[in-house]
Amino acid sequence: MESQLDLRVKADWSEMARVNEEAGEYLASCGLSAEAVQMYTMVVCELVENAIKYGNFVDEEDRIEVHVSVASPTISVQVTHHCRETGGAALRDLDRTVQWLRSYQAPFEAYVARMKAISREPLDAGKSGLGLARITYEGRALLDFYVDENSMLSVSAVSSLA
Amino acid sequence: MGTMQTYENNQLHVEVDAAGPAVTMRFLGKSMLREPGEFLLPLLLKTLSEAIEGNKRIVLDFRDLAYMNSSTLTPVIKILERARVGKGEITLVYRKALKWQDISFSALVIFQTPDGRILIQGEG
Repeated sequence: MESQLDLRVKADWSEMARVNEEAGEYLASCGLSAEAVQMYTMVVCELVENAIKYGNFVDEEDRIEVHVSVASPTISVQVTHHCRETGGAALRDLDRTVQWLRSYQAPFEAYVARMKAISREPLDAGKSGLGLARITYEGRALLDFYVDENSMLSVSAVSSLA
Repeated sequence: MGTMQTYENNQLHVEVDAAGPAVTMRFLGKSMLREPGEFLLPLLLKTLSEAIEGNKRIVLDFRDLAYMNSSTLTPVIKILERARVGKGEITLVYRKALKWQDISFSALVIFQTPDGRILIQGEG
């Protein structure tokens, strides 16, 4: 079985309800268990949330491209959008976070380490940084990213179907 | 604090019931908060403060929550830590039979205290 979902999403937080709903419906239509639907819906939503928060959307027509592919035994989620500036702070931060996550043998350890770090941060700290750790731990996904020559950032999460 | 108050933020509904021996915060719907500090953290801080004043335990009941993003978990982590190192008693209850809840919330046991002031409980 192989199928895919493609969504174009405005960089507007109000879109998240639609993304959550459409991702869930698509994953359910693939015959995945309720548990798997919840798990991978979370992966899709966390990646899109990051895109809205850290993407570069200058043009009104700029959109976030979401591609979800279920090809047993693998599910992959790819979210593509303009990045603020190639080599900029947001991209360095993403690279640092992905490398940091990979430095842990068990994703659970990274997740717990991130939770401990959050607990020590000031109450008004704006960024949690928990989303990617959650994708690797709860979503059991491998994270990767690349930037193409047009400064389009693609972040992908690939995991074996639960 | 009144007996029952309801707070809403998009698809998230929070019922705060202070009528019993504990202050129960029941989370329903889907939580897709954008910023960790918006809505939920002020509500948790206010409830913790009032519960301490009234010498009551807070019960954070997530069993009927259908979805939450990571920005929702952040204020929960901060309130658990604040109570852990300071004052307050918190019991966090989640639905163990829901795998996403079990995975998300069971990891919070790192904030449990040996004296039972902070409890993380998976039920059902």
